[in-house]
Amino acid sequence: MSGGGTRRRVLAGLSPTGRRVLYAYGATVLLFLLGGLVRPGFIQATNVLTILTVAMFVGLVAAGQSFVILIGGIDLSVPWVLNAAAILLATSSGGENAHAAAALALTLGMGALVGVANGIGVTVLGVPAVVMTLAMNGIMEGLTLGLSGGMTCGACASYAPPLVQGLAHGSLLGVPAPLWLWLAVIGLISFLLQATVFGRATYAIGTNLRASELAGLRVRATVIGLYGLSGLTAALAGIMLVGFGGQASLGMGEPYLFQSIAAVVIGGASILGGRGHYLGAVAGAICLVTLISVLLAMNMAEYGRSIIYGVIILVLLLLYGREARDG
Amino acid sequence: MNDAEGRRAASLEAVSVSKGFGGVQAVSGASLTAFPGEVHALVGENGAGKSTLIKLIGGRLRADSGIIRYQGAAAALKTPDAAHRQGCWTVFQELTLLPAMSVAENLLLRREPRDVFGLTSSRRLRQAAEVVFARFGIRDIDPGALVEDLPLADRQVIEIVRALSHDPDILLLDEPTSALMARETAWLFGEVRRLRDAGRTVIFTSHRWHEISAIADRITVFRGGRDVGSFTTLDEDEAVTLMTGQRVEALYPPRPPAPAPAAALAVADLAGGRLAAASFTLNRGEILGIGGLAGHGHRELFLMLFGAMPRKAGQIRRDGQEIRPRSPRQAIRAGIALVPEDRKTEGLLLPLSVGDNLTLAVLGRESRLGILRRRRLRTLAAAMAARLKVRMPDITSPVGALSGGNQQKILLGRWLLADCAVFLFYDVTRGVDVATKHEIYELMTALARDGRAILYYSSDAEELAHLAHRVLVLREGRIAAELAASGLNAERIVAAAMHEQAAP
Repeated sequence: MSGGGTRRRVLAGLSPTGRRVLYAYGATVLLFLLGGLVRPGFIQATNVLTILTVAMFVGLVAAGQSFVILIGGIDLSVPWVLNAAAILLATSSGGENAHAAAALALTLGMGALVGVANGIGVTVLGVPAVVMTLAMNGIMEGLTLGLSGGMTCGACASYAPPLVQGLAHGSLLGVPAPLWLWLAVIGLISFLLQATVFGRATYAIGTNLRASELAGLRVRATVIGLYGLSGLTAALAGIMLVGFGGQASLGMGEPYLFQSIAAVVIGGASILGGRGHYLGAVAGAICLVTLISVLLAMNMAEYGRSIIYGVIILVLLLLYGREARDG
Repeated sequence: MNDAEGRRAASLEAVSVSKGFGGVQAVSGASLTAFPGEVHALVGENGAGKSTLIKLIGGRLRADSGIIRYQGAAAALKTPDAAHRQGCWTVFQELTLLPAMSVAENLLLRREPRDVFGLTSSRRLRQAAEVVFARFGIRDIDPGALVEDLPLADRQVIEIVRALSHDPDILLLDEPTSALMARETAWLFGEVRRLRDAGRTVIFTSHRWHEISAIADRITVFRGGRDVGSFTTLDEDEAVTLMTGQRVEALYPPRPPAPAPAAALAVADLAGGRLAAASFTLNRGEILGIGGLAGHGHRELFLMLFGAMPRKAGQIRRDGQEIRPRSPRQAIRAGIALVPEDRKTEGLLLPLSVGDNLTLAVLGRESRLGILRRRRLRTLAAAMAARLKVRMPDITSPVGALSGGNQQKILLGRWLLADCAVFLFYDVTRGVDVATKHEIYELMTALARDGRAILYYSSDAEELAHLAHRVLVLREGRIAAELAASGLNAERIVAAAMHEQAAP
């Protein structure tokens, strides 16, 4: 009784968001233990680091997704922004380190620009986010296919510059470089959301757009900035993916739409905006990738994985909904 | 009360009714007795339990304990339908119409006229709706219109007609007039009197005392989830004292001293939307009332001054300098603040903390390179909360958990932190309980005494008459009259607002 009471008090002391973030991390630990039972090698350090590295790709896309979900929006354009970024990096650098810096700037700029276009569509033109970003996804798919000639162009076979490949495969102090990058991104985003005017405005707009406008906040600029950041992180994920795999391919962004949204939701953000934190999405991404790995370790077929995936998301949403009613 | 009443058979009785939501006891041991041929007003602060009691009586909620009797028999109220079958109909405060359906469909929901095949048609519906409207003297609502296209007042009228059309023995009206204009209120009271004269019972709630004293035969005061007394006559100050449990000397604080002519805001030929042309000067320390019927350009005037709506023409001078606010942000920079009608949806961010809400308008000023000076923000918020004597658990509690008066303080505190000198109060007391109104009046007059300029629109002419130094009456987008404080009363304001209609 007393133990349960204490735990309840500790949990009650956290905000609903904080509690959900905790649940997501708890679920991840449970999944690792389950994986260890299925296959003892599952919880070895190398495997854990591999899972975390794979989770980083989801986590990067989920960063942008978190930003727009915080204001009650959504970014459905991530698959082809990511894909376009991967191809653009490879083709514009021609696989040479000498062009790497310019190619990186070009690619990240492209992602941010597409995101800004999304933001302008949503705030200035008043197009619903679902429609705007879905249309943008189609446009980016068309542009990518057309400009690359369906990946038949001369430069399309280029590899990512060795520098970028090194970033994806290297390690520092026994930790893979992508994880260091992820840590930096986590720190940066937490700072942005907690300590800046931009972050405060983001939560305010997600809570009530009209009231934020009437309080004198820069609503349009903030929304455009948030979509821009989403495009930027999708492009960054594309860069890391092409660095990791060496070559770009068509359709490589597809899995990241569902996974990024799922990660944000598992991480406890309200899909209606105003509530949530990137640390939650990080937990969500790790949880999701661990789940996939466990299912793979159990030799589950792809269709089974998809079903379990969907069921888990639904169950979580039901649990969170119940909690909101209680609170 | 006395023997004569004790012998009269009550048409409605609620005995020691309780209802809790989670940890909150909304109604605890409340009792109410109403008689046939009686208009019975329930008064009390927001949260005193009136609306919950009405929902319990009307079968919308089920009581945790206690008994409800209709016409002397215990009513088994599992659903609103059960209440309806026993002749009890409710007009709830939240509108219950289906927005995407027509007026006629809503009016005749679940009793649509059908032909021999059991089918209905929009023509039949329309005809039936016209019959209902004619019976209650409604002429200017099109039964074919979609509810979502209608103004709030018309929707409320439809709700009321829907309940009336069932010939209720007991009619419950939860704040029916807060969405209505003077004309529709007069119509409603006519219908209420007709029901009373036919021996029916009408229970209603309102925060407008002149309505209560105009129509109620009996007044029951609620405080903290239960009834604290039933009266056949009660004056406003007594009522406020009973409702708040503390002695209130007078609802309206004394008018601040007359201001010296020093223009804080000068408006010339401002136009846009329904506002055709408005010119006036607002002085420091002045409460300038804006009166008139809704829809005559008030909203546009306020939104344009606050940069929340584009101007078509006109000049705005702030301390002599011309300004062209194109966004609320620019208006706030020029020291203009808007206190909107609905602080919960347009003013405050309810789930966010007191501190975050207080500092929302100064984030830019209190930051360096976009990075918040968080310690300073905390200090500023705490100092402002202390200055305004905000009652709250602490500065990190969500604003939504505060009482109405304290929420209003947070909103004013936000503008004071932003050094605003011109305050635009837009119908801030609509639907607000008397105790909170009293606090708002106190805050407003304190601002004026502090030398700030206040433009104050209220749909309640009584308030303007008591608080404003001058009242400008808007009619058809123009200033139709300017009334001075001396000899000012609500009737004169209303007369000036209606002048055109009164004299054809």
